[in-house]
Amino acid sequence: MSASSPLLNELIEALRCLPGVGGKSAQRMAFHLLERDRQRGLRLARALEQAMQRIGNCTRCRNFSEEPVCALCASASRDRHVLCVVESPTDLAAIEQATGYRGQYFVLLGRLSPLDGMGPQELGLDLLAQRLGEGEIEEMIIATNPTVEGEATAHYLAQLARAGGIRPTRLAHGVPLGGELEYVDRGTLAHAFGSRQALD
Amino acid sequence: MRIEQQPAYVLHARPYRETSLLLECLSRDHGRLGVVARGVRRARARTSRAQLEPFRPLLLDLLLKGELATLAAAEDAGLPARLHGDAGLAGLYLNELVVRFTSRQDPHPALFDAYARTLARLAADEAPGWPLRRFERDLLEAVGYGLQLDAEAGSGLPLAADGWYVYQVEHGPVRCPPGRAHALRGADLLAFAQDRRPAPEADLALRAMMREAIRHHLGGEPRTWQMLAAMARR
Ligand SMILES: [Zn+2]
Repeated sequence: MSASSPLLNELIEALRCLPGVGGKSAQRMAFHLLERDRQRGLRLARALEQAMQRIGNCTRCRNFSEEPVCALCASASRDRHVLCVVESPTDLAAIEQATGYRGQYFVLLGRLSPLDGMGPQELGLDLLAQRLGEGEIEEMIIATNPTVEGEATAHYLAQLARAGGIRPTRLAHGVPLGGELEYVDRGTLAHAFGSRQALD
Repeated sequence: MRIEQQPAYVLHARPYRETSLLLECLSRDHGRLGVVARGVRRARARTSRAQLEPFRPLLLDLLLKGELATLAAAEDAGLPARLHGDAGLAGLYLNELVVRFTSRQDPHPALFDAYARTLARLAADEAPGWPLRRFERDLLEAVGYGLQLDAEAGSGLPLAADGWYVYQVEHGPVRCPPGRAHALRGADLLAFAQDRRPAPEADLALRAMMREAIRHHLGGEPRTWQMLAAMARR
């Protein structure tokens, strides 16, 4: 894949930073933009540059934002009594798209993981404690992933909430809708069995 | 080298390349292993990520080549240890200790057994303190830093059950006046050496003794201590 132009080489190399993009796809993308789509290529370049330079983290929820306080935190139509804590901006987007949740969020940008050097400080829990201390929040929905590290994080967050007189709740997890027990992972099934609910 | 049906636990996983995971595993016969699990981050992977979570007894088929092994197959060897609440944090602590105190491909069968026993104790809703002390003791022993708990430092004289001692890392118990900070009764040290539970009043001193030894041999503090301390402060 030795292109004749150093700039082309540089572009191909740069595109490889994208997830799922190897050498071949990077080359195809670069050729596509140069051959047929220079206008949109330039738009991509501008958008990329602006986003990389101007998007930081919201000072209230830590989600991506180019303003000090993001639109979601600033919105008057969101319920200020409920706070949903997620591991990543991707998780936040998933909840926004799949549910009718109208409360606010806090993004940890990770989970407790001693071996990755992720502790309470790295997760911004001082900032979270400060928000809990403001007195508006009544319920904290803990939506960390149902992994060992996500569960440990949830436990930690629940303690933080209780210490602040706030009711912690946890997303339910178990057998996927439309799934068949036979094909459900053992751990998932054990968990679903353990947290079964009364029918009424 | 092919390794088949090897009892192991996953200690830690991190994303590796596009769709793979790099696992740190504790295996019974080959010690800690770095294992590449190819393609398990794809939606329809043959081995699910859930199966490669920590605290699950597994049987692994591996191909070991140089520094890393490649995962060929993983099957459950029993029920996952379900660690709730503080036990979950305690479990992460075990994993941190094992990763930081062992080198890859350095076999420690006794450590594997101690690890499995400790998970069972934590899952049985025992308060984490005592299971953790036993594990710390067994871990240090397994990696060659065992504590001398039944004889005085220097003289090697047997401990007096009613005597008071402070533990000096790399030496052993040294006689001290009663009531010294972190002093332990001879009887408690002897009990600990014989895997019997010391008196509850000795809990804090016992923890301090093990922490001092861990800090000394690690040249620093495990990250999990900071988490536990931050939690205790709240
Ligand atoms: Zn925000």
